[in-house]
Amino acid sequence: MKIGVIDNGGQWTHREWRVLKSFEVDAEIFPNTVDDEKLIDLDGLVLSGGPASIESELSKLGNIKQYINHDYPIFGICAGAQFIALNSGGNVSKAVHPEYGKKEVNFYSKGSIFYDIPEKMIVWENHNDEIKSISDDYIICASSDTCRVQAFYHKSRDIFGVQFHPEVNNTEYGTEIFKNFIERCKK
Amino acid sequence: MVKPEQFIEDAKLQIKSQLKGKGILACSGGQDSTLLSVIAGMVSRDILVIFVDTGLLRLHEVENAEKIFKKYNINYKIIDARQRFIQNLKGITDPEQKRKIVGKTFIDVFEEAAKDFGAEYLLQGTIAPDWIESGGQSRDTIKSHHNVGGLPENMKLKLIEPLRDLYKDEVREVSKYLGIPEIMPFPGPGLSIRIIGEVTEEKLDLIRKATDIVERNVMENMHERPWQYFAVLLPVNTTGVHGDQRSYGKTVAIRFIDTLDGMTGTFSRPDWNLLEKISTEITDEIPEINRVVYDITNKPPATIEWE
Repeated sequence: MKIGVIDNGGQWTHREWRVLKSFEVDAEIFPNTVDDEKLIDLDGLVLSGGPASIESELSKLGNIKQYINHDYPIFGICAGAQFIALNSGGNVSKAVHPEYGKKEVNFYSKGSIFYDIPEKMIVWENHNDEIKSISDDYIICASSDTCRVQAFYHKSRDIFGVQFHPEVNNTEYGTEIFKNFIERCKK
Repeated sequence: MVKPEQFIEDAKLQIKSQLKGKGILACSGGQDSTLLSVIAGMVSRDILVIFVDTGLLRLHEVENAEKIFKKYNINYKIIDARQRFIQNLKGITDPEQKRKIVGKTFIDVFEEAAKDFGAEYLLQGTIAPDWIESGGQSRDTIKSHHNVGGLPENMKLKLIEPLRDLYKDEVREVSKYLGIPEIMPFPGPGLSIRIIGEVTEEKLDLIRKATDIVERNVMENMHERPWQYFAVLLPVNTTGVHGDQRSYGKTVAIRFIDTLDGMTGTFSRPDWNLLEKISTEITDEIPEINRVVYDITNKPPATIEWE
């Protein structure tokens, strides 16, 4: 099984690669300018975070729009999740309360790759922008007190997103979320 | 997690296949480059380990490095470049500039050493956070690590970096496997980035003493130690009272931080009595300093080092 990590310039892109590797997944990091054809044979894709503002610097996300049409599971993290929301017809803009570092999120709806994680967990954040809205095809399933959309999943397809960073060591249950994502990729 | 035995074999193979001739190895005495020195020593005698005394080091740092080189029978050379570093840093206050100047000075010293030794290769203990934080392509530069951001574009030496995909915890695991003692992380630019503002010999003396007090107290009094613990000299003077006389002295910040891999971290919560002891020792033993503060910021938003 092989899972790709699209590098949008995040500080923790290589961490995502490493977490996948720790589950003995064949993982590879691709720049976000990679030709979409190179991603055809994958079993899953992670869209990393990055410094770009989705609202005003979309071009810095390269060819990412092409990548999310694949049938395999796609997992957006931070800017990657924001892109999924934007592409669905939702809105992303400057956060009212940017979040850096430790935060508590509340999972009020369990499902998809988030089915077995606790209601409250400590996560690590690092974002200036936030998702204001996402299409009705998605279920928003977690919030923090300063950011409404912390996690979501598609109602019928294997597309997931988190605003926080499950790949860093300080986020609780981050590896569980990755494990569940990998399970989905195995199907 | 990394499998030490496998990793060492892979690293040896990488060095063997890339090294076509002689190489020098840049060793700062820190965990990463020390590990690489030990592995390289197993592969070839055509690799000379270079340790540079930058003058930006802690007390006893040179002796400690030398002890390890001798223990592992490593082919090494110590170069005294203290004057050169302090000269190049004169008048510089911007942290990125400091890091770049230190990196450039290192490379100058290494290129000369390589010429003397007839080496065409430079082995470096660069690990993942170094190149991630140094930026490039789509990634923002958080801080230029001396071994990445300081490299000139026209460098003649060919690079070999077998530790590129490792994080600090994995370096420690492999080091432990080889019996290398645990060395507390210490930044490549050394004490130059623990002095906010211009680096001078007087300030280096102060921060060296404060660092020693912090390290000694933690070693002696804490059973479970933070990942990193250090002092930073701030360019802030404040009013104090020393023996009924007004003083207007410098400020030192203490930072203890816990992390697994250096990529995220939380400030430690040591015993107040220990912090008080450190504070009192610093202000008693270093009269130029009359205020000590404790850093309570996680990473992010802060980084581990202040610059």
